[in-house]
Amino acid sequence: MTASVRLTRRRLSAAAAMRHLEGPGLGGLVLFAGRVRPDRTGNGRVRALDYEVHRAVALTALADLERTARRRFGAKRVVVWHRVGRVPVGEVSVLVGAATGHRAPAFAAARYLIERLKEEVPIWKAVPERPARRPRPRPPGSGGR
Amino acid sequence: MEPRATVLLFATARRATGAGELRWPVDAAGVPVRSLVESLGKRYPKLAPILPTCRFALNGRYVASRATRVRPGDEFAIHPPYGGG
Repeated sequence: MTASVRLTRRRLSAAAAMRHLEGPGLGGLVLFAGRVRPDRTGNGRVRALDYEVHRAVALTALADLERTARRRFGAKRVVVWHRVGRVPVGEVSVLVGAATGHRAPAFAAARYLIERLKEEVPIWKAVPERPARRPRPRPPGSGGR
Repeated sequence: MEPRATVLLFATARRATGAGELRWPVDAAGVPVRSLVESLGKRYPKLAPILPTCRFALNGRYVASRATRVRPGDEFAIHPPYGGG
């Protein structure tokens, strides 16, 4: 059985997360996926993000979030999965979800999970540094020393 | 051999020091987190402005008080503001 809480270098599967959230009597399933955007920066367009984690502390923090989602919102199934390492634009970097009897607490639990994850879990993202461009060779006779 | 603690640095703190891990000398009786952080800021000027925004963890648990002592063999982590998602 897959874990409710994961930090992984592998691609995240929304289908696998939905399967994890399924259960008898669970009428409300909410799954949020965060993807890497192709934002513009001073160095051009973002092609990927590097995610860094303090794994031991992050796993404890994620487990705390899961427990709180169960206690506060009555979530019967929870998913809090995050990619680490390099994640290309367009790929999913985070999946959070909750399954409850009805829709309202499922939405509330999923919202709680993603908002608290951003505030309380030691994960950082950064745009990878690009290697310096090679200077173009000058055509013969174009000047210079 | 001089007693040391391990200091783990992440994200902007790592880039400010150029190291993800430092072996930092501490007294056998330990040194308060407050003092350790001050000495790191003095040693690494680029780290100093980041430290006031950081959380600290000692052996995998968040530090509740800056009077907590870091002892030889401990693992002390510096966490700049988080940015997952």
